[in-house]
Amino acid sequence: MTGLLSSSNFQWVLTSAVLLGMAAGMVGTMANLRKQGLMSDAISHAALPGVILAFLISGEKQLPVLITGAAISGLIAAFFIQSIKRTTRIKEDAAMGIILSVFFGGGIMLLSIANRVGGGSQSGLDRFIFGQAASMVRMDAYIMGALAVVVMLLIFVSFKEWKVVLFDPRHAKMMGIPVRLYSSLYTLLLVLVIVIGIQAVGVILMAAMLIIPAISSRYWTHSLFTVFVLSAVFGGVSGGIGTLISSSGSNLPTGPFIVVTSSLIFLLSLFFGTKKGLLFRGEKLHANRRYLKQGGDHK
Amino acid sequence: MSYAGWILLTGALVGISCGLTGVLLILRKMAMMADAISHTVLLGIVAAYLVSSSLDGGSMLIGAMLAGLLTAWLVQWFESSGINTDAAIGVVFTTLFSIGVILISTSVGNVHLDVNHALMGEISFIPWNVIELPLIGPVPSATLLLLIVTIIVALVILLFFKEWKITTFDPALAASLGFPVLLMHYVFMTLVSVTTVAAFDAVGAIMVVAMLITPAASANLWTDRLSHMFLLSALFGVASSSMGYVVAIWLNTSISGSMAFSTGLIFLISYFFAPKHGQIAKRVYKTNEI
Amino acid sequence: MKKLLLAVMLFVFGGIISGCADANETDSKKPLQVVATTSQIGDSVQQIGGENIEVTSLMGPGVDPHTYQATQNDIQTLQNADIVFYNGLHLEGKMDEIFEQISATKPVLALGEAIPEEKLLKDPDNPGVVDPHIWFDINLWKESLDKAANELVKLMPEDEEEILSQKETYFTELDTLLEESNDQMESIDQQQRVLVTAHDAFGYFGRLFDTEVIGLQGLSTEDELGIRDIQDTIDLLVERNIPSVFIESSISDRSIQAVIQGSEESGQKVELGGELYSDAMGKEGTVEGTYIGMYKHNVKTIVDALKKEAE
Repeated sequence: MTGLLSSSNFQWVLTSAVLLGMAAGMVGTMANLRKQGLMSDAISHAALPGVILAFLISGEKQLPVLITGAAISGLIAAFFIQSIKRTTRIKEDAAMGIILSVFFGGGIMLLSIANRVGGGSQSGLDRFIFGQAASMVRMDAYIMGALAVVVMLLIFVSFKEWKVVLFDPRHAKMMGIPVRLYSSLYTLLLVLVIVIGIQAVGVILMAAMLIIPAISSRYWTHSLFTVFVLSAVFGGVSGGIGTLISSSGSNLPTGPFIVVTSSLIFLLSLFFGTKKGLLFRGEKLHANRRYLKQGGDHK
Repeated sequence: MSYAGWILLTGALVGISCGLTGVLLILRKMAMMADAISHTVLLGIVAAYLVSSSLDGGSMLIGAMLAGLLTAWLVQWFESSGINTDAAIGVVFTTLFSIGVILISTSVGNVHLDVNHALMGEISFIPWNVIELPLIGPVPSATLLLLIVTIIVALVILLFFKEWKITTFDPALAASLGFPVLLMHYVFMTLVSVTTVAAFDAVGAIMVVAMLITPAASANLWTDRLSHMFLLSALFGVASSSMGYVVAIWLNTSISGSMAFSTGLIFLISYFFAPKHGQIAKRVYKTNEI
Repeated sequence: MKKLLLAVMLFVFGGIISGCADANETDSKKPLQVVATTSQIGDSVQQIGGENIEVTSLMGPGVDPHTYQATQNDIQTLQNADIVFYNGLHLEGKMDEIFEQISATKPVLALGEAIPEEKLLKDPDNPGVVDPHIWFDINLWKESLDKAANELVKLMPEDEEEILSQKETYFTELDTLLEESNDQMESIDQQQRVLVTAHDAFGYFGRLFDTEVIGLQGLSTEDELGIRDIQDTIDLLVERNIPSVFIESSISDRSIQAVIQGSEESGQKVELGGELYSDAMGKEGTVEGTYIGMYKHNVKTIVDALKKEAE
């Protein structure tokens, strides 16, 4: 085991998982505040047709090309979800379900064509569905590192603005903050984290990386800043522990272990969290409910 | 019946059973629960396999039903402890799915119970997997299962139509009138799980989500009446599955993928042309008003 | 059962009638429609059946049979087939069960299941699972092709002589292939004869030529690839001072690239030995698109890569 810990492949995977966990934790906090946790699930599924179209059109399996495709189709999906919600009586969750399944269905159609035309399986397109953390190398660690830094900078440099925008967009508008710019930036960050993350943990578990650390952290503090920091910590720790467990034996998938670790942290927070944990609730329950309503409701 | 006939029939049954359940899902604002259950079903199937060490329909159905109920119960419980619905759903289904994947890679080993199959399904093979029925002759087993489930869904919805209506549109009133709101919730979740499993075997998880949500959402744009919505949604489900089959033959590609994609085409048409809540109707209505 | 049979027959009939139109014009005998899953089977059976049969292989170049998804055309092809050959032993994943069902309506042969069980390799970690990549053992392959030829003869008794003589010719070629390959493989130092690939496809190849084989993933590309698997392989490369690893034409090269980079960090220079045809063959019409050409390509690539370093 000690030999494994000092090996470079393990360290690349560990570093990538920790950094991805941190980036996802922070962006997930924003998504959670906007009650858009499942948006990440929708976008990660919707990225599939973009990946495969990019492959079919360019004929290349270069990662930047595929990721660009994924990002474009993810952004289109996010836009569609918003417009369905805005222009029809259909609720956001149904809109997400529609876009998610229809885009993914289209992706499967294209994948079947790509596999037949040839080179589909060789280019490893299906790792965009299930992810494969074990084969990450130094470059992946660098990419995850850059991602984490970009996310951190964007959030903390204009933290005050984000705070108002996330909690009360109307008030933010009155204060003269370019809310639309921040909203687009938020969507962009979300899509970026997702498309970079899915090749590590896969389409389905990407949502977990974004959602779980973010809700766990809210059981420990009322300050938004600390929520962000804690989410990053929880995300990073889950990434690290998940990688450690999955390298203890052969044929163990990394992504699912990260998610299960993350869920355990969540359960601990739910019961023992000092702010809203079930054990510390007592008479504060009502005050907390009120806080939740204020905090969660952005309309 | 010919090969294409069986495929179309199977697709139509998926369309009807999902279309009917989907209407209630949409109106109860639980669309993403469909997504969640369709993924956690994997855990149910793996667990059923580990307990019974067989892959037959019966144990799979029970396992998946229990997994579906577990999902519904956990989400409900997290919600009541103050977590946003979407976050609660996100936590529950990704965790249960992960446990399923871990179990497959550690305990199930090389048995051909792969995640790939579970997610994509393989409707093309259904007509060959037949069982012999007295009087009728050979029937594809997946189609038979779907037929039974479709009948159950239709019966449960028809028999308790009034109850569904009131618990869906006004749960508070329903509770004050003495309707068993919570019981109805779990009955409904069981319905969703059963429909999901039956359709799942045929067309895979993603396709189930498409079939559950999209035709119902499209129907929601055409009418305000619950009974019409049920009919339209089932109709849209059937139409998109047949359309999907045609597209799949035309492009020579995955049938379940095309069927999911076709639900999107029907939604697109409804989005613009639905007489009640479509974009064009809305424009016309607005100009008339001026 | 009768109804389905009737349905299938009607379907096949439709195909025959439409197909017969041209056949009657040229007034020649319509070749037997043979469907094979992998192109290894397709090519070999074609060599034996010659002009009496028309072979369609469902899985083309670069296609991974473990994760293959059938398309609508495949279904049509299967329905119009007079006989179906597949590999079996779970190579085609979930398609296996379907072939069992089809066997009720038309002759279907699983080449892998035609071989006596004691000659097959078992997964050491999981004794219940059999290695399906039988075509890499030329002797086993001949044995199963023999069974395939018998099936063809059953359907075309009037062409028995022709088929059997074509089979003999082909088998002679295979014998030469085996000898040549053996000579070439033996030219590699015993110590150097280690084949590292992305998944465990070369078990029979290794047994045949006394070569150690290591696959990152298990017998199926569906198997999970863990960090431990990559690290174990790297450790072995370093320990045994193995200079080359190989990618496969039907699998992403990502895991092998991770091994190469990881070994480099550990101070062991590992090179990419080249691309092998494991579960799929080359493009139709090229040399690598035939079974023999594919085999020669693999042997040459392996010998070139493993011998180079020995110097």
